[in-house]
Amino acid sequence: MLVRLAFAASMVASIALVVLYLRGGERTAEGVLLGVALGGLGLGITVWATRLMDPPEVEEAREPLASPDGKSLVDMLRDEEDVTRRVVLVRMLLGAAGTLVAALAIPTLSLGPAPGSDLGRTKWRRGLRAVGADGRAVRPLDIPLEGVRTIFPEGFAGEPDSQAVVIRVAPGLLELEGRRAEWAPEDCVAYSKICTHAGCPVGLYRSAAHELLCPCHQSTFDVLRGAVPLFGPAVRPLPQLPLAVDEEGYLVALSDFTEAAGPSYWNIERSDEL
Amino acid sequence: MIRWIDRRLGVDSWARKGLRKVFPDHWSFLLGEIALFTFLVLLATGIFLTLFYRPDATPVVYDGPYEPLRGREVSAAYESVLRLSFQVRAGLVMRQIHHWAALVFVASIVVHAARVFFTGAFRRPREVNWLVGVGLLVLALMMGFTGYSLPDDLLSGTGLRIAYSALISIPFIGPYLAYLAFGGEFPTHGIIPRLFVMHVMLFPALLIALITAHLAILVQQKHTQFPGPGRREDNVVGKRLWPSQVFKSTGLMLLTAAVLAVMGGLVQINPVWTYGPFDATIVSAPAQPDWYMGWLEGAIRLFPPFEPQIFGVTIPAMFIPGVVLPGVFFTLLALWPFLEQRVTRDMAEHHLLERPRDNPVRTGIGAGALAFVAILTLAGGNDVLALMFNIPVEAITWFFRIAVLVGPVVGGYVAYRIARDLRDGATPAFGRKRGVMLRRTPGGGYEEEGS
Amino acid sequence: MRSVLALAAAVVIAAAIPAQAQPSLEEGRELFEVHCASCHGPAGVGTRFGPPLVGVGEAAADFQLRTGRMPLAQPDAPTLRKPPAFDERQIELLVAYIGSLDGGPEIPELDLVGADLQLGARLFLDNCAACHGATANGGAAGGSAFAPSLDQSLPLDIAEAMITAPGEMPKFAFSDDERDAVVRYVMYLQEQPSPGGLDIGGIGPVSEGFVAWALAMVILVLIVALVATGPGRSKERVLGDEDA
Repeated sequence: MLVRLAFAASMVASIALVVLYLRGGERTAEGVLLGVALGGLGLGITVWATRLMDPPEVEEAREPLASPDGKSLVDMLRDEEDVTRRVVLVRMLLGAAGTLVAALAIPTLSLGPAPGSDLGRTKWRRGLRAVGADGRAVRPLDIPLEGVRTIFPEGFAGEPDSQAVVIRVAPGLLELEGRRAEWAPEDCVAYSKICTHAGCPVGLYRSAAHELLCPCHQSTFDVLRGAVPLFGPAVRPLPQLPLAVDEEGYLVALSDFTEAAGPSYWNIERSDEL
Repeated sequence: MIRWIDRRLGVDSWARKGLRKVFPDHWSFLLGEIALFTFLVLLATGIFLTLFYRPDATPVVYDGPYEPLRGREVSAAYESVLRLSFQVRAGLVMRQIHHWAALVFVASIVVHAARVFFTGAFRRPREVNWLVGVGLLVLALMMGFTGYSLPDDLLSGTGLRIAYSALISIPFIGPYLAYLAFGGEFPTHGIIPRLFVMHVMLFPALLIALITAHLAILVQQKHTQFPGPGRREDNVVGKRLWPSQVFKSTGLMLLTAAVLAVMGGLVQINPVWTYGPFDATIVSAPAQPDWYMGWLEGAIRLFPPFEPQIFGVTIPAMFIPGVVLPGVFFTLLALWPFLEQRVTRDMAEHHLLERPRDNPVRTGIGAGALAFVAILTLAGGNDVLALMFNIPVEAITWFFRIAVLVGPVVGGYVAYRIARDLRDGATPAFGRKRGVMLRRTPGGGYEEEGS
Repeated sequence: MRSVLALAAAVVIAAAIPAQAQPSLEEGRELFEVHCASCHGPAGVGTRFGPPLVGVGEAAADFQLRTGRMPLAQPDAPTLRKPPAFDERQIELLVAYIGSLDGGPEIPELDLVGADLQLGARLFLDNCAACHGATANGGAAGGSAFAPSLDQSLPLDIAEAMITAPGEMPKFAFSDDERDAVVRYVMYLQEQPSPGGLDIGGIGPVSEGFVAWALAMVILVLIVALVATGPGRSKERVLGDEDA
């Protein structure tokens, strides 16, 4: 009958599984054989239970859940006068237990340092050259026209909190306001690569639209106008990295970002200039 | 042998009494068992994986058979996952079964919870078990998140970044919490070992404890049952545990494991070798978390750019969709039995279930809530939908922004109406009257029969 | 008389053959004026319907024409891979002509045999995955920009795209070796079977979640229904129980 077939198939599959394993194993076969081994046994048992058994429907009474009135736990706790009469001691016991819990919990603070001032700050400093992930300094013409490069401060190549993107846009297109216009030498404009929404690297540059798109939640930033968000959940623009070109023609930072880089937090300094 | 045990432990009468317990026989009562058995598969495959995984973010050089990554510096954790996948016999199938089981685990909990909700099984005296269940759901989510972050690959690392930013966004305590949890500013080497401890020790211990409580309460209170002939509030009608229920459950357990085994062997899941090792300066798209976190991802994507300042305190854009939403949602979910009691003033004990149609308001609200979560989950894949249908992702986003507000209301109302109409046996919601019987009144007019 | 005519014919034919073997700029220009100039302007100067093609180079023309992206039915239609509108010869002619418009990148020569697969994987994940996906199955890049799936791309397509930056794609300054490495890696992704089994789209958790629900949960709930009532368990027996 079906049950016997099912059990037999299961046995065969289990043995085949052992043989397969000893001979090197193969993922598809492992899964299928395991499935037959388990499923054959399960099918046999199920068919047995549903077709071969026909147990009667039985009735069982539900007893009330609450304890019958009379001696109860509450009474037992309350009746013990050695405990309940000594009110002051009970209160002090609870107080001591509470403070003990607090004391035992305090080592959780060892889990990590306090945030301090490095939240939102990066390793960019005045005079540090912009280098690629390979550590080599970047010149404006190293970036193809309408191309994008990921840059780091010299000496900190690969440092995640300092990651930035520099884009060489076609001449005459940048519309940066105020002193920001002076931060983009030879049409090379640089922004923090850390999205101000949830911190994903903003690696997607649409060259015809001149927009940076963060792939995580589709925040879109206007590269020509200071990475102001155009769409999506990001509220703060990507901070712009003040760049200049040094005597040897390499891109160099004028300072750290003037606003916090990365996602917002409760006491983030808001910049008035936009 | 049983006598041998009984002479030492005295379990004979206890076991006999237990095996004679009556359980009502309805297919929907087995949905929770899918979750339970999936958990067993997770335990078994998980133990295997634990023996090979290295919870260590220290960089090593990959030197295994996956060519594109040979010579690349990766974390020891990532390397151990690649080694398990490509160099350990049965490693890849175990890993894939484990991950498929995780997806099915949360799905089966949701289906089971929906059954409990729509049949009113959470009502007194089962409010405590409902709370335990909500706790289990949250734990399952945390297990999934910590688990898929362990390989330290590009996709899951991006998810960790977003989780870190969600923590940071909490006013006043956010940055402290984030630094405590991660051990410093993202990315840290310390997070992987911590996730491992949570995933392998702390959360499973809690899960096992709560599952035990869940089942113990169920046995103590006896299972609920649907109304029917011979079924009252003060009895349980069904089949005894032994032999039929034991056999059925065992069969179901093996069949569940069989389905997961076949999936693990045939369908690829989480190919971390293609994503590459985590690098905080790059990201791959589309970037989604596992499906059960998709609703949060969708909320974060849909929430408009809103970052107000209240008394000088910035409320970051991520805070409301990323922290407040799940907090409110799970709080409401947990408190539901008490909220319903408050509104309906129904303090009675209930052991008989309601069909969804018997309580149209609850059904409507539940349907609306499910629609809300489902729409958010779909919204989490807005860029995938954009690619699939060749529609700009901005349009998809706007569609979902409106859908998430309108859909639950419409869906909830439709569910409410359908349930109510089914219950009242009234004219079917979308049907027509078949025609009327008329009779003449003494005054010469016409009137309907039966009016 | 006939022999003179025959000789003359032979001379004319002999003169004509060499001209047909190389791409004739004149023929290319004719094709261009008919098919391309309405949008890109005479001699590729550009109009409000299409950008100028002066200086885009043979590589750009070759890429757009061979992958069928150009010609577009309408100026703002999306540029998707389609069967090419021209045959090989016509593409050759057009490419030569467009290349003659003030130079530009030439069609690259690839060397995939010596290409560095590891370097290609690294460069691809660093630069390409954000738009095209780690599995190179494509992605939405915002607006009407879609980074296409690379599963049908020929090595030359990929190289030309990297050089000429079609559409919204940014330009990348790769050396020839780096470019070949990336191409080799994309071919690797195309050709290698997925180690885990069916790759269900290769876009990650979205399709995995879908499969978990639409396949696994459906099967499991069906199994539950079968386990509870039993395979082939007739409805009458159930009703009979209720009567008892």
